[in-house]
Amino acid sequence: MAESSQSQSGRKKRPRSESDDDPDADADAASLQSIQLGMLFLFSKNDLTFTDTAIALQMMKAQFPKLDKVVVRPFILRSQLYSSVKDRTQVDRDLESLKKEAVVRVFKLNTGKDDHAIMFMDDYLAQMENAVKRYDVKDKQLSEVFDWFKQYVIKSKTDVSISHPELCSLLSNGGDVTEKHVTLLINAGLLTRQLIDQNLYWFVIPNIGSILKGLSQGRKELLSLIKRTKYKEMVLANLEKKRLRLSPLDIRFHIRDLIGSGLLKTVQSPIGLLIRLSRD
Amino acid sequence: MWKWKALKEREDGSLRPSAFRRGVVSSRAASLQLSNAKEFISLHRGAINSLEGDAAEGRYLLSAASDGTVAVFDTDTRHGHGHGHGHGHPLFHLSRAHKFAVSRALWYPVDTGLFITASFDHYVKLWDTNSTQVVLDYKLPAKVYGIAMSSIATSHTLIATATADVQVRLCDLASGAFSHTLSGHRDGVMSVEWSSSTEFVLITGGCDGAIRFWDIRRPGTFLLLDQSLSQLGTRPPLLPSPSNNESTSLPTSSKSSSSTPILPAQKRTSHKKIQLKPPTQWSHPGMASSQNRATAHYGAVNGLRATADGFYLLSSGSDSRLRLWDIESGRNTLVNYEAMSIQASKPIQLAVTPDSSLVFVPCMASLKAYDLWSGTTINSYRGHYESVNCCFFNAQDQELYTGSNDRQILVWAPSIPAATQIEEADSEGGITSIDQDNWSD
Repeated sequence: MAESSQSQSGRKKRPRSESDDDPDADADAASLQSIQLGMLFLFSKNDLTFTDTAIALQMMKAQFPKLDKVVVRPFILRSQLYSSVKDRTQVDRDLESLKKEAVVRVFKLNTGKDDHAIMFMDDYLAQMENAVKRYDVKDKQLSEVFDWFKQYVIKSKTDVSISHPELCSLLSNGGDVTEKHVTLLINAGLLTRQLIDQNLYWFVIPNIGSILKGLSQGRKELLSLIKRTKYKEMVLANLEKKRLRLSPLDIRFHIRDLIGSGLLKTVQSPIGLLIRLSRD
Repeated sequence: MWKWKALKEREDGSLRPSAFRRGVVSSRAASLQLSNAKEFISLHRGAINSLEGDAAEGRYLLSAASDGTVAVFDTDTRHGHGHGHGHGHPLFHLSRAHKFAVSRALWYPVDTGLFITASFDHYVKLWDTNSTQVVLDYKLPAKVYGIAMSSIATSHTLIATATADVQVRLCDLASGAFSHTLSGHRDGVMSVEWSSSTEFVLITGGCDGAIRFWDIRRPGTFLLLDQSLSQLGTRPPLLPSPSNNESTSLPTSSKSSSSTPILPAQKRTSHKKIQLKPPTQWSHPGMASSQNRATAHYGAVNGLRATADGFYLLSSGSDSRLRLWDIESGRNTLVNYEAMSIQASKPIQLAVTPDSSLVFVPCMASLKAYDLWSGTTINSYRGHYESVNCCFFNAQDQELYTGSNDRQILVWAPSIPAATQIEEADSEGGITSIDQDNWSD
């Protein structure tokens, strides 16, 4: 399909156009390998096809920047997905079915309005293990709540949020649940209270706080970089060579994210691809 | 050109007249530009909050502004300056209609003899158009964000009011009193809309992000839209899907859309368990209790519009998302309308074409037209200097009127006016070409 070839060839720096010579040959090979691996896992239940969304997710997971200070498994922002696959409605629907099949998990982030992070289920479980290991549990009896959480809550509840009564009832499938168990989950970084409603919790990716700060600051920095130019635009090749001071994530991550959320747009020009600030 | 070929086909019967009309209307609606021929000179000194055309003729445009003024314009400019008013001037302009900003003004659904205005000074007033006097007024406990009257109602004349108070009040025109008070929202209500297929169903959107459906003949909400309940596709699937989103270990009620609050089915109880109060609710069939915290948007719901066929509902939220809901199944159809930014503080007015093909959304300083079913941006109308608040699509002439914070009302008309084409054809008796000069022989 033309659609799949476009999303396959369009890497981070070429969101919606044909791919040119790519200096990152090793990322290329890695992504290809991961696609082949991914193909084995991503067949949906009903038929043997896999979707563009799934391929795009695998590719972006392979291109997740390597961070030195913090260990975080790769996650993909929803806006990045929108910038790499053309039809947004199809992305939403594919994501919904992937969520239901428990292949990926979606989290709502608190940076800006309607930001979501998508993480593969095995990555999330590995991240959770790391977080639990690092968290020093004072009362050893309470640490069984992590197993209950993994076994009962994560498997059955595929939403981004959960209410307090439901959480308790799902956890009680494993044993007696008290307030202390829920407190432990919050302290370990697996749940967060919602600001609007006290009885609802968001699911969160543990240990992601510094990256989120880098995300919002990096966005602002990139936007101001482009705003300062005379015509509010910059050639993509030049933009990619820059490094962001405030964000540990690389610039291609941010470019994708901002294109997907509509703040930047790409324009074809005789020089190449231009990134322009979009007027409202 | 398409239209001439289609005219010939209509003449010889290969194209049905209704299909021809539909084609003309949709091509005109998709080609809107700032109008050269028509303008409205707005005497308002404040942001324009609401624009509404009458349902009977589609001719008179009622506008309401933040300085407490209300004006009526005649959109039909073919009949010259017969009224004695200048071209584009309002037919009348009430400069002291309300003390504070008027948030919404509506025509009485049957004819243009009455209109209703709602304002931040807590009053909803009913006016007689000919004498421009207040006939009836209702005092509400908080500032009124929006009002709605059902255009298909034959057995009631109720005005639904959305206020900053958590209760939705229905005012009865016939008796002059409040007839219903609907409680269930947990924060102020910003938008309200009657169903376009049933005269007894009211849809309200609140600042808490919830959209509730009320049947006014019974107490309580019968449907609450939850953005996490979705269906893949614009119609619900014929066969039940294997995995259900609500598949927890608890039994839920048979009607998936109205969910009772999750009653805990705890296997083991001990005296140290968390005490959960049994939710107090009526055992009323099909009633969603007020403890159902499902949200339709992550912010306030500031615009609601039902499609003309009554099957779908569009809702816009301050999280800058526009969602399309299938009313019958109560699920999110997951149509993604491309990036937009919707102002968060005020209610906005969406417009949908009557054949449900395009939706017009005010996004900050521009207005965007999206294809309803696929979510792609068809057009972006930039003409206002500040945020656009309201828009009204005139289905008779396929024109769009927009009002914004810059106190102007702009007219967007199809780029090829139909009247001049017919005149040209009549005068020359043949097909005219576009670049024919009128001084060449």
